[in-house]
Parts: sequence; structure tokens; C-alpha cells
Amino acid sequence: MAPLPLLALRATPSLPVRQAAGGVAIVLVLLAWYLLTSGATPEARAISPSVFPSPGEVIKGFPSLVTERNLVGGIAASLNRVFLGFGLALLVAIPLGIVAGSFRLFGAAAQPISLFGRTIPVAALLPLSLQMFGIGELQKVMFIFLATAPFIFHDTARAIVGVEDRYVDTARTLGASSSHVMAKVLIPLALPDIYALIRAMFGIAFGYIMLAEVVDAGAGLGYILLQSQRRGMPEHLVGTLFVISALAYGIDALFRFFERGFFPYRRSHE
Amino acid sequence: MSDAASPDITPAAAGAPATATAGGATQETTTVVEFTQVGKTYDTGYTAIKDVTFRVDDVPGHMEIVGILGPSGCGKSTVLRLIAGLTPQHPATTGIVKVMGKPVEAPGADRGFVFQDYTSFDHRTVEQNIAFGLECRGTPANERLELARDWIQKVGLDVKRDADKYPHELSGGMRQRVALARTLVLKPRVILMDEPFGALDPKTRYAMQDQLVALSREVQATVFLVTHSIEEAVYVGDRLFVFSNAPGTILQEMSIPAPDRPARVMQREPDFLDIVFSVRDLVEGLEMSDRAGT
Repeated sequence: MAPLPLLALRATPSLPVRQAAGGVAIVLVLLAWYLLTSGATPEARAISPSVFPSPGEVIKGFPSLVTERNLVGGIAASLNRVFLGFGLALLVAIPLGIVAGSFRLFGAAAQPISLFGRTIPVAALLPLSLQMFGIGELQKVMFIFLATAPFIFHDTARAIVGVEDRYVDTARTLGASSSHVMAKVLIPLALPDIYALIRAMFGIAFGYIMLAEVVDAGAGLGYILLQSQRRGMPEHLVGTLFVISALAYGIDALFRFFERGFFPYRRSHE
Repeated sequence: MSDAASPDITPAAAGAPATATAGGATQETTTVVEFTQVGKTYDTGYTAIKDVTFRVDDVPGHMEIVGILGPSGCGKSTVLRLIAGLTPQHPATTGIVKVMGKPVEAPGADRGFVFQDYTSFDHRTVEQNIAFGLECRGTPANERLELARDWIQKVGLDVKRDADKYPHELSGGMRQRVALARTLVLKPRVILMDEPFGALDPKTRYAMQDQLVALSREVQATVFLVTHSIEEAVYVGDRLFVFSNAPGTILQEMSIPAPDRPARVMQREPDFLDIVFSVRDLVEGLEMSDRAGT
């Protein structure tokens, strides 16, 4: 008997089928969650409420998460730190990356340093950032900067190097000077790739800030997570995780939206 | 080989620069492109061309189209890129490459280049692509817009329909028209074309050949056309250079009748085909003897 067409190796189902598959998976997880955390008394539940809350508890805990725990202020604090640290990284690393990609000698010179920055696990930078910048806001911002700048630099340089020689050759034979080639060919042609790397790195930076905020943050989503755990409020902990996921998705959607406007000449989006 | 190309230059193995200097004074006004015993060997040790010598003169009112034929990898593109001054082919390892009497030092808008690969700038519309060189030259915006639109029409595109299109919306033929317009709008002295129509279907190819002949006459440019198609070289060319296998050198140089009828008409005529077949025999014969000799 022939295998079901949908289960054939590398078969691509239609979009409605794919969406339905995703929906079914969510329902199954929610169902498992509900069953494992349901019961008249805490003892009757497969997973104790002190370990993991039920879906109902998370929903019920949401208003107090917003009012008592200042969720909105936490989002603002976290985003503010990411914007500052990531913005600084963009300001420093993109111009340097453009130079390194355009002038290969600079690229070769920066290569070992950039490699060092990229191979250090980001969590390992935490103690150093505390040592150098204390435990205040500066440390949070600089942690994001240190964690993302080497990658932004490297990928920007690679995007510039990735512009094919034939475009540069063409520009040269049309009378372009070196600065013309940089400004009118290399940077514009690399820009969609640079934008894509900014988009990807911003998502990662948003994840990193949680790491920095577990240290004496005073505010922020990471701070709320840690406090919820310490105070034994798992419904706030899980609720915040959903908020973080939704926020990350929302920001990425915003990036995608602007991508269309910025680069109308791109053949395809997604 | 060199004697076939250019009898009035004394071949001199060691004294090539001296020869060129001596000849330079009298040739400055008459010679468009001149190769004197040019060779190129890369750092890897691979020799792309050796001992290439030719001269293409400026005959007022009659701009030449030079077809360059030869087997794959024989250094035809190397010759074009040396004229353009594009690295890594430029600079030549031996010999001298001169354009308008001066040694080639760097690329410039006086030597336009149309590549086989599509090189339209993706982020610019058709109009902006064509205006690129004018922009680099500092031509005022309204003037370059006018010129660009002028050339959109001249290469057979439609201003209203195509001017604001991005390259990804264009067919291969349209892209090459843009590439041609982008080069010609700068009124280059020399146009270098490396298999520009290689990826086009036959119908479009004929149309582009006719366009090329007409427009290069209009801008008074000398054209070097590298092609794999003997028909194309014979049709478009006034002169043919036939290259040997690598390391490439000119095996035979010949004059042929200039195109005076549309490509798809002329290329079906028996007289035309006779020339094509004789050139084909010649090329194949030369290739065989070259192989036997080495």
C-alpha cells in the first residue's frame, strides 16, 4: 500500500493543512497542561500547583501581574535597556563592519578580535560586565552591547563582502570612484542583509536582557520572572513567559512589516 | 602571430616598453586600443594569455566592431578586462595595454563594459540604473533624468511602462537593454561586451545584435564583442580575432563585411552562411593544429 501522501518524505502540505497541524499541536499541549494540573485539591493534581500552575490560574493571575507587579513598567524597562545597548552596538558595529568589509586589510585585522567576541558564551560575559560596570543600569546596557556588537560587526562585514564583484566592476566601468562604490553599490546592495541581521540580532538581544535582569535589576521582565519564582507565584512566572513570547513575536512582525517598505526591490518576502 | 596582427610594430621580446614609447608619439591620435606583446600570468602560475598583439585604429566615421572568438577559457575575457583596467586581470604581467595612446591604469567611463551576468543594481529602478554613471559624473538631476529616459527609448524599452521598474521585474533581454543603455548614455569611446547576449533566446538575441550595431554607430564607439557564437561574431563584426587555447593568443585576424541588413534576415542568407562555415572551419582547424603543436 502506498504511504499517505501527507506523510511522504519532504511532502509539503497546503497552507490550511499546515495551519491546522499547528493548531492541533497547540490544543494537544494545552490539553496535556490542563490534565496534568487539574484536580479538586493540590494533592489530587499530577503536578503540584507550587511547581506549575494550571491554565486557569495563569489567566486569573494576569490582572494582578499587570497591577501589582507592574508588567507594563517591566516591559518598558526591559525594552529600554535593549534599545540602548543594542542601539549602541548598531552605532558602533555597523560602520566598523562596513569599513572591514570594504577594506579587506581592516577586515583581516579585526578578524581575531571579532572571533574572540563571538566565541565567548554570552552568559560568561555576565561576571565581567558586573566587574566593569557595576550592578546598575549601565551594566545591563553594556551587557547587551558586549553580547551583540561582535556579531553585528561580523555579519555586517560579511554582508558587504558578499556583494558580488561584478557589481563593483560594473560601477567602476561606469566611472564610479571608491567612495561612489561604497555609497552607491556596496552599502545599498548589502543593506537588505544588514537589515535581516539586525532583525535576528534584536530578537537575540531581547532574550539576553532576561539574563542581565536576574542580577539586582529593580525592574524589567527578567526581574519579574525572578521575583515570581522567589515569592512562589508560578502563575505570574508562566504568564510573563507568554508575554515575552508575544512581545518578541510582535517586534519581529514589526521588523518584517518595515522590511517590505524599505526594500521594495526584493524579489520575495518570506 | 604577432606579425599577423600588427605589422608596423616591431616584435621585441625584451624591449616591448621601448617599442611602445617609440610608437606612442605617432599613434596617439589614430589608435583606439593597442596591445603590445601582452601576457597575463596569475599568482597561481596559470597563464591566461600570452604574446597578444593587436591594434584597432580610429577611422573617422567608421567605428569598428571587433568580434573575439575562441575556445572556452582561452583568455578572451582577460583581454576585455585588461582594456577595462579591471583587477585581477589588470595589470598585465608583460607587455603594454594602451587606450587612446595612454597605458591603461584604472577603470573609467570611457571604456564601458556589458557583462554576461546581469549586473543591474537591484536597489535602483531602470531609470536610476541608467543614470548611475551620470550621477557619479555629477550631472544635474533633471539633466540625467532626461538623458536616462532618452536612452530607455533608444534601447527599445518603454519610458512609461519600464522606467520605474526594478530589475527583478525585468526579463533577461530587458536587463541587457538596461545594461547597454547604462553604458551608452556615458558615450564611451570603447564598449567591451563579454557574451552579453549569451543567455538570451534567439529572437531577442537578433534584436539585440541589431540594436548594438545601430547604437554603437550612433555613439561612435569601438566595440569589442566576446562571443561563443560564430554567427554573432560574423554578423556584428567588422573584424574578427580568433584566439587559441590557453594560454590564449591571437591565431588569426580577419576582416569581414559589416552588417547592413537586419540580423534575422542576413543570418539566413547563403553568402553569410558561407562566411560562417569558412570561419568555423578555420577556427576548428586552428584549434586542432594548436593542440597538435603543443
